[in-house]
Amino acid sequence: MAEAGVTKGIVKGIIKFTAILGAGFILLFVLKKMLLAPTEDGYRFFPLIGSRDWIWIVAQLHLNFAAFVLGVPLFAVTMEYIGWKKSDERLDRIAYDFTKLFTLAYTVTAVMGSIFLVSLPLLYPKFIDYMMQILGPTWWLYLIVMYGEVIVCYYYFYSWQKLKARKGFHVALGVLLNVLGALLLLITSAWVGFMTTPAGVTPEGELVSRWGAIHTHMWIPLFLHRFIANIVFGAGIAAAYAAFRFIIAKTDEEKAYFDWMGYTSAIISIGVSLLLPGVGYLLGVEIYSFNEQMGIQLMGGFFAWLWVMQAILIGAILFFINYYLWISLHKMPGGERYFKYVKFLFIVLLLGYAVWLTPHDVALSLEEARRTGTYHPALGKLGVMAAKNTAVILSYLATFLSFAIFRMSNKEPTVSWAKSGHTARAVIIVVSAVGVLGLGIYSYVVSASVRVKVLSPIQFGLFLVALVALYILDSRMYKGARIIGEPRWGKMPERSQYALIAITVTFTWLMGMLGYMRAGARQYWHVYGIMKNTSPDAFLPTHGYASIVITISTLLFLLLVSLVFWSIMKLEKVVENRRGEQ
Amino acid sequence: MKKGVLKLAIIVIGLNLTFLYIGLAFLPQSESRPPKVIKIAEGISQEELIQVGEEIVFGKGQCMVCHVGKPEAGMRSPAMSGIGAEMEKEAKARGITPEEHVFEALVNPSKYIVKGFEDIMSPVHTPPTSMTDGEIIAVAAYLQSQGGKVTLSYPGSLPILKAQISKAGGK
Repeated sequence: MAEAGVTKGIVKGIIKFTAILGAGFILLFVLKKMLLAPTEDGYRFFPLIGSRDWIWIVAQLHLNFAAFVLGVPLFAVTMEYIGWKKSDERLDRIAYDFTKLFTLAYTVTAVMGSIFLVSLPLLYPKFIDYMMQILGPTWWLYLIVMYGEVIVCYYYFYSWQKLKARKGFHVALGVLLNVLGALLLLITSAWVGFMTTPAGVTPEGELVSRWGAIHTHMWIPLFLHRFIANIVFGAGIAAAYAAFRFIIAKTDEEKAYFDWMGYTSAIISIGVSLLLPGVGYLLGVEIYSFNEQMGIQLMGGFFAWLWVMQAILIGAILFFINYYLWISLHKMPGGERYFKYVKFLFIVLLLGYAVWLTPHDVALSLEEARRTGTYHPALGKLGVMAAKNTAVILSYLATFLSFAIFRMSNKEPTVSWAKSGHTARAVIIVVSAVGVLGLGIYSYVVSASVRVKVLSPIQFGLFLVALVALYILDSRMYKGARIIGEPRWGKMPERSQYALIAITVTFTWLMGMLGYMRAGARQYWHVYGIMKNTSPDAFLPTHGYASIVITISTLLFLLLVSLVFWSIMKLEKVVENRRGEQ
Repeated sequence: MKKGVLKLAIIVIGLNLTFLYIGLAFLPQSESRPPKVIKIAEGISQEELIQVGEEIVFGKGQCMVCHVGKPEAGMRSPAMSGIGAEMEKEAKARGITPEEHVFEALVNPSKYIVKGFEDIMSPVHTPPTSMTDGEIIAVAAYLQSQGGKVTLSYPGSLPILKAQISKAGGK
């Protein structure tokens, strides 16, 4: 793979993708002829596990890989650009390693996409016919863009060494790759947007405006949410890869490199994830403005307990990353000065987690609704958004402080105003924490509209302002600081790497669950309010059942990802052997 | 190396099983099935009509997703308790009959918004709620029963309902 010529590599890529896609189309054609005609209302049934579960698993696997191959190129090209500008070979190497990862993952993405392509029209022919009738042209555009992306991706990868002298052009290729990836995401988000918040059609489903059907309430917010989440996810997978390589590394040099790669990827992942609540909020606002009932049903109805599950998962991720950063203090000369703060950060995280996990009372029957009312009599005050938003923001603030402590732990400021700087830092932390807490308490006495539209954004804004202020202050204060000692990359206990892998596993599970909730918001509709799902699967299963399917998808995905990791290592060995022979 | 990979596999599988266990053992296990059309017999007594209405309000109508039982701070929609009496007052102030007002609130909710609340309710006779005429009359009777005088019957109140649906631009 890595040694092939540029043209040969691109041609190979095009042939491979055409073969995968072609095989899908042929299979679709043959199976359509072989299988029984669909039922009167337009369904075929997948053996044993049923059509819904089959599509659920295949779609989730395809989405996970798509998220990976769309997310990783963004920070690969960013690393390449920074490496180029700073003449840092290490950054160029990490960018190349990321590129290896997503180029290989493209094939698996295409295979999963092809299975999805065959499955949907076979199992849900009436629904797909309708979607093609409304959004057909976008599907052909999708194919064209996908081919463009394949060509640019292979060009970008295979020309890495050849275009070393023309780095600007190579970086431009990486940017183009990301533009095409974003375009693909825009197209697929339009499909999901139409299914969930349809527009551009009459109440009977007749097309009125194709642009209207594309430009739905959900379209852009969903795109933004996926775009950001893809970066978080892609970086998480890269961190898991680095952790895996660290664990099996044989030399100190390898350990040092993969330790650094794991740290960089994990920080990108968690850092970018700070944007998710903001874009998630935008998505929520659009869902509410499309249909308030759908919004409330999603946030507080049948899915209410899955938000508690989300809290368990994100809280776990925060604990894992904090644990990793606290362990990392050991490799920083001077890090021991900050050990004393860890217990306070731990307490904040623990309290935040406890509040976040407190469920809002969810009545599951008429009797229970009559008995308990809307809120739980004892824990109701902590189970509402006013408390949860506050707890989440404070937990994130604690996480940022863990990161800031790690970054500064091997430095000693030399500026004359260092003492005032430390005081200013404490003031920023206290003011922002008290402000977030105060706004949270005030949220209890205002209307839902003021809480959601005014106070929550201010709380989040205050947190972001504090982050930026701390970052600027630290950057100034530690400019030209005395270095106590360089980080001892590679000198990390193995358990730190398991924390990185745990982040990725948890995030994958979380993505599976949120994807299910997003699809489940449509309840028993293929296209909400327009096309009813009349199949036997037209219901939302129990949370336990959904957990089983999500677990299966997550494990299958991780198995396939580990095969990608293994293939990369195999290829590296082949390249090494060839070099040895030469 | 092998030991490390084995530990890694245990962590990956262990975490997944932990999340699965939480999903199976700690979360409530109920399904959400599509609502069935509730058959309402012609000439049904008012008591039974109110009872059916209550079932719809707490069930397929999904009314309690937004409304609350008793008034509380920060509620996003009017409370059910006393809503019948409130609607009677509103109808009087608007110079329309209580029947017209309660049906309008269900099929054309944007027409009149109670002070302090926002225009967030979607009509109940169109998708996704898609209540039948009989179901709407039952819900309206339940609303009236919350502190007001129940004046609706099925099918007696159908013409008033049809007129409101027609005013809302529906069939």
